[in-house]
Amino acid sequence: MLGLITGLIVFPMITGVLCLLPVFQDDRRRNLFTASVLGLNFIFVLLCFAQEGSFDLLHLSDHLSLRFMFDGAGRFFLLLAGLMFLMVGIYSFEYMTHEHNRPRFYVFYLLTLGALNGVCLAGNYMTLYCFFELMSLLSMPLVLHSQTEESISAAKKYLLYSVFGASLGLGGFFLFTVYGGSTNFVTGGVIANELHQLQLSSELLFQRNMLLIGAFLAIVGFGAKAGMMPLHAWLPTAHPVAPACASAVLSGVITKAGVLAIMRVVYFLYGSSFLCSTWVQYAWLMLILITVLVGSTLAYKEKILKKRLAYSSVSQVSYILFGLAGLNTWSLTGALLHAAAHSMIKDVLFMGAGSIIMHGHTERADKIDGLGLKMPVTFACITVASLGLIGIPPLFGYISKWYLCTGSLIAHHNFFGWLGPVVLLISALLTAGYLFTLTINGYLKKEETESDAHEAGFLMLAPMLILCTLILICGLFPNLVTQLIEFVNTLA
Amino acid sequence: MNLVQNFPFLSIILTLSGGVVCSVLKGSNARKYCYFVLTSVLVGSLLTMAYVLSTGESYVYMMGHFPAPWGNEIRVGVLETIMASLFSGIMLLSLMGGMHHIFEDTEDTKSNLYFTLVSLLSASLLALVYTNDLFTGYVFVEINTIASCALVMIRYRSGKALVATVRYLFMSLLGSGLFLIGITILYDITGHLLMENIAQSVSVLFQTGTYAFPLSVVVVLFSMGLAIKSACFPFHTWLPGAHGNATVSSSSILSGLVLKGYIFLLIKIFYRVIGMNIIFHERATNVLFIFGVFAMIIGSIKAIQEKDLKRMLAYSSVAQIGYIFLGIGLGTEAGIAAACLHIIVHAITKPMLFTACGGFMDVSGGSKKFSDIQGAGLRDKLSGIAFIVGAMSMIGIPFFAGFISKVYLTTAAIEYSSIKTVVALAALAISTLLNACYYIPAMLVLFTHPKTEKVHTHPRSKEMSLSLYIFIGLNFLMGCFSQPIVNAVIQGIAMFR
Amino acid sequence: MNYLMMIAIAFPIIWGACLPLLHYKEADRSSRNKYALTGTLITSALVLLNVFTFKSNAGFQLIQLTDKMSIVFDVDALSCVFLCLIAILWPLAVLYAWEYMHHEGKENKFFSFYLMTYGIVIGLACSANLITFYLLYECLTFATIPLVMHAMNRRAIKAGRKYFMYSIAGAATAFVGIMFLVNYGTSLDFIYGGTLDLVKIGSQQNLILFGYILTFFGFGVKAAVFPFHGWLPSAGVAPTPVTALLHAVAVVKAGVFAIMRVTYYSFGAAFLSGTWAQSIVLSFACFTIVFGSVCAWKQQHLKKRFAYSTISNLSYILLGVGMMNAQGLCAGLAHMLIHGIMKICLFFCVGVVMEKTHREYVPEIEGMGRVMPITFGCFTIGSLSLSGIPLFAGFISKAALGTAAVSSGLPLGLAGLCALLISAVLTAAYTFEIVIKAFFPSKGFNTRHLREFKDPSWQMKTPLIVLSVLMILIGLHGTELMNLLSKIAMNLM
Repeated sequence: MLGLITGLIVFPMITGVLCLLPVFQDDRRRNLFTASVLGLNFIFVLLCFAQEGSFDLLHLSDHLSLRFMFDGAGRFFLLLAGLMFLMVGIYSFEYMTHEHNRPRFYVFYLLTLGALNGVCLAGNYMTLYCFFELMSLLSMPLVLHSQTEESISAAKKYLLYSVFGASLGLGGFFLFTVYGGSTNFVTGGVIANELHQLQLSSELLFQRNMLLIGAFLAIVGFGAKAGMMPLHAWLPTAHPVAPACASAVLSGVITKAGVLAIMRVVYFLYGSSFLCSTWVQYAWLMLILITVLVGSTLAYKEKILKKRLAYSSVSQVSYILFGLAGLNTWSLTGALLHAAAHSMIKDVLFMGAGSIIMHGHTERADKIDGLGLKMPVTFACITVASLGLIGIPPLFGYISKWYLCTGSLIAHHNFFGWLGPVVLLISALLTAGYLFTLTINGYLKKEETESDAHEAGFLMLAPMLILCTLILICGLFPNLVTQLIEFVNTLA
Repeated sequence: MNLVQNFPFLSIILTLSGGVVCSVLKGSNARKYCYFVLTSVLVGSLLTMAYVLSTGESYVYMMGHFPAPWGNEIRVGVLETIMASLFSGIMLLSLMGGMHHIFEDTEDTKSNLYFTLVSLLSASLLALVYTNDLFTGYVFVEINTIASCALVMIRYRSGKALVATVRYLFMSLLGSGLFLIGITILYDITGHLLMENIAQSVSVLFQTGTYAFPLSVVVVLFSMGLAIKSACFPFHTWLPGAHGNATVSSSSILSGLVLKGYIFLLIKIFYRVIGMNIIFHERATNVLFIFGVFAMIIGSIKAIQEKDLKRMLAYSSVAQIGYIFLGIGLGTEAGIAAACLHIIVHAITKPMLFTACGGFMDVSGGSKKFSDIQGAGLRDKLSGIAFIVGAMSMIGIPFFAGFISKVYLTTAAIEYSSIKTVVALAALAISTLLNACYYIPAMLVLFTHPKTEKVHTHPRSKEMSLSLYIFIGLNFLMGCFSQPIVNAVIQGIAMFR
Repeated sequence: MNYLMMIAIAFPIIWGACLPLLHYKEADRSSRNKYALTGTLITSALVLLNVFTFKSNAGFQLIQLTDKMSIVFDVDALSCVFLCLIAILWPLAVLYAWEYMHHEGKENKFFSFYLMTYGIVIGLACSANLITFYLLYECLTFATIPLVMHAMNRRAIKAGRKYFMYSIAGAATAFVGIMFLVNYGTSLDFIYGGTLDLVKIGSQQNLILFGYILTFFGFGVKAAVFPFHGWLPSAGVAPTPVTALLHAVAVVKAGVFAIMRVTYYSFGAAFLSGTWAQSIVLSFACFTIVFGSVCAWKQQHLKKRFAYSTISNLSYILLGVGMMNAQGLCAGLAHMLIHGIMKICLFFCVGVVMEKTHREYVPEIEGMGRVMPITFGCFTIGSLSLSGIPLFAGFISKAALGTAAVSSGLPLGLAGLCALLISAVLTAAYTFEIVIKAFFPSKGFNTRHLREFKDPSWQMKTPLIVLSVLMILIGLHGTELMNLLSKIAMNLM
């Protein structure tokens, strides 16, 4: 048990620091090293699928301890993280050739992976908070990699929002410690049954209200990482200035860390029955639906490619949160399916955007006319991913949308029940609007000026192709994924 | 009748005659005789104090055999003997500390007159302390006035001293005049001059309600008269000039002793002549309280603005007198006790500060401006240390004498528990800060190296060193072992009625 | 009779006072520095010996001033906490000052007062009653004024004057409050639970609470409570060893220590709990927390930024103390210790930058992380700790404070929690801004003109590294420390 934790958390971190060594200044050697580390990490994750249980590592003080646990949710996100980091890592070997200071990128890339694994393995609130903060800190240098003035201020903004969000989460932690009890994650929540009722004595009522406030703080706070309003503003600022591989990882994986954090708090600490039909759930749903709509709208209007994709992430991750907020099995299944789908799809989209920037020499969505003919594979992958995101069968995205809408209609007996699917539908139309234009402009329009655009190299295309294949396979055989998330039945 | 009991009377006679004798002796002989007189008075007072403490009650002593309602009486109790010892001792030390300045500042042929004046002053202070009838009181108040004004004026080379003396004389005589009118009215309505008899009479009058208005007028006249003479705000304007421009030992004696003599007389009149209940009725204590508060604050503010060390110390005296009036103004016995303690503390400290100032002048070419005395503390280390001790005492740092009186003042204020408490506490706090604001910069100036070399006009004499050592010792004694003195004061006040 | 303690107090004062008598020449650095360090190490050894061998109620009465007041020294559990802090940090600071003062000059005067201040702070920690404490508090002000005014230029003198006026005013106000205890308390001794005579107070509770508020704000001047914090940023003009040790550790912690003593050992938490006085204390603490952090964030001068950060962090401690229960006191003590270590490390790093590169403002330190990796590495650890990132020391005390604040059940406790969280974000902002600037300079930044700067010598590096390691160790093994402090706070030691 300890060995696997070491392998998953400490190993990437140490190897990340090792990238500073002079021996790894050579690109080829370092790329090989990084690829093997990422591959090993993925293998470790697969190996740990048989593990179960929890483990206390360190006691910081009387009621603060570092606790790790293997369970279904953790494993799912570990797998997702491992896979995406591997794919984007391979992509980055070619992409980063046009950036300077490459070793530093990989240092923080691997460190972030280690911290992210820590978040997935966290067994109590404090460990979650600890690794969450570490992950924010370690991923910040990825944003400011190019060290232009905009990227430095974008990185500071990212850090501020993350730390602020984590602070809110910490506030929730304090409230829970005092009024809830132990903060170890247990399936179904740890709150005493007596607090679930609505008719309570004044003392218990105070306790219940404090707990609800704590829950809301934690949701909004960790939601900052997941790009939920009102703390989403870092996403559209950070993504355009970061290197494409960093954006891919930020959007595709690190936002899911925020999702996992919220999931842990809602399902493993508070319990879905405690939060069901409370003001917390309704406020959360309102925030989510606003985010979905506003995110899609802003993506539609945005002309800078990476920013468009950033707003798209803001909107899409809130789909996942919508599923979490449904507090029932169907919604939850939809949420996790969409988490997987969105990771893969958004990574492909960012990788595609990256190759457009690098080899197509443009950053804007209105300047990609005719590039599709010069970069056919890239645009093909982008098309596949777009179709998936919009939710067109038989690609992966439609299954999750199906579950989300069904879950919403089943669970909610008031207006949220139908409002959710309506918003999702409108958003889908907008998604089509902002994604299909890319494909259409790329393939069907004529190029305005002759440019020396050319297709990306093998290292950049291979991961995109692999992920597109996966999108197709998971779309055709969704059971592969639903098997992984069987644990949701115990949660809601 | 014990021999010791005669000592108070004898000390008054001795000092009076000392004045006469000194006027015919030459300067240095006069000095020696004056030392002798003062030392004997000191010893005598201490013996009397021991006696009165042992018997535990005060006694009355008739001087001359005039029957009531006239007659001269003195009354000797613990508090009086403490004050007498204090006055004679400090006078001795002040003389020792400023001796060579006396000879420098006066005309050669007239220096023996200085000692005459000191003896006369001593006599009048003792008389004020011991007196038990108003006639004696008034006579010696006048002698006190003339002697103290002359002490200022005797500095013959200073035009400023002359101007200051005239102002002092005016204000003092005004005060004496008011005092006299008050005595006259009181004699008129009661028909007595002895304090106890007057007190009985007054209480009868108060109960029956006759002569109510004259009685109020009497209270006002006594308070104002003695307040003017003891430089209570707002009648303090003569003080900075007088004390700032006099010779060193005169400043010490005037600041440390003369003012206190009048305050003591005022306390005596409040307690023994009129009676505290009437004083409350007339709200005299409230007025004195307010004056005291203002004095504390405004005296310090003016001191901060001064560029001349002696004038700064003079304004500091104004502020410290304010403390004493604050204590009296509280009206409780604890307040009076605190005021008496502060009289003792200030009498120990202010002469030491003035003496040290004399030392600084010696090593700075005779000047007392801040620009000239920079670094004087380093050149004359004993005076520097004495100044630090005095300053710490005035600010109120534990271990130094000033802390004790501050503690008792604050305790008395809190015991009272009314709006006066809040005002008193606020005033004490602000005043501490303001005190620090001018003493600390002064100390800093004294201890930073000067830019140019300074002239030493006079090496320090052994007398002055001895007096400074004794002053410092007294300060620490009062700061660390004050409990016996405090107990004695409290016992004395209980006996005082 | 605890003679060991009296020797520990008197020795550094005498050692320091004797330093000018030895007439070390300005250039004779090495022997003078060794003299100073030897004195400090001996004192620290004595102090630690005291801490580990003390028996309760073995006090030493120096002198009886009056019936009710005497000067008594004694070591109790609370003293030990403060003593341990200064015993560890003072030698480090003296070692750091070796090289730092090399370029400031006038080291004789400096080390002399530095050592004397050490003795006075030890005496302060060992005071057994309020009068002794008050005496040493005043002495502390007087001993530190020459240190603040060290440079003797106009700015330094002005700063020194401001410091002294604030301090004296504070002490005068606190004195008035102390007098309330003289009147309405059974004694002036420090006894856990307070020494108020409730029978004598009767229904005059409000008067006594007023006295407490006076004492709180009086001592609060040294603890930099708004609005009496103004002296602290100005005192940043002093040499870094002074700012670091005195204005981040000794003087300001003396202020919070005073408030702890007055609240828990003189007036008594039970008397104060639930009263309007507690509300005032908590409100001002909350406000100062946010105010200090905001000012630090806007401030561009390095030392002033951390001076405001200190102002904010001191109110963290006061927030804990203001909870008026053992849990709050424990949290306050934890932060007192841990913040001392963090802040001194941060100030030392800033001092290195200022001394080596003569640059004082945040925008000027761009790219320095490359050429001074150890300095900025330690700075990063300090920043992580100050922001409250888990695995570093600062999180332990912040968690304790947050938990104490929430579990008190007071609405102001929740306000305190909000203040803590807002402050945490701002702290991350103003510390990481420096870290980012140092390690990630903007594109096109030419490091050529930074090439002559490098890490300082071992005298200045060692304290930095020791402190960083300490922060990480405490961060990982806080349990024993917190248990110990918890017991002390509940008076079970």
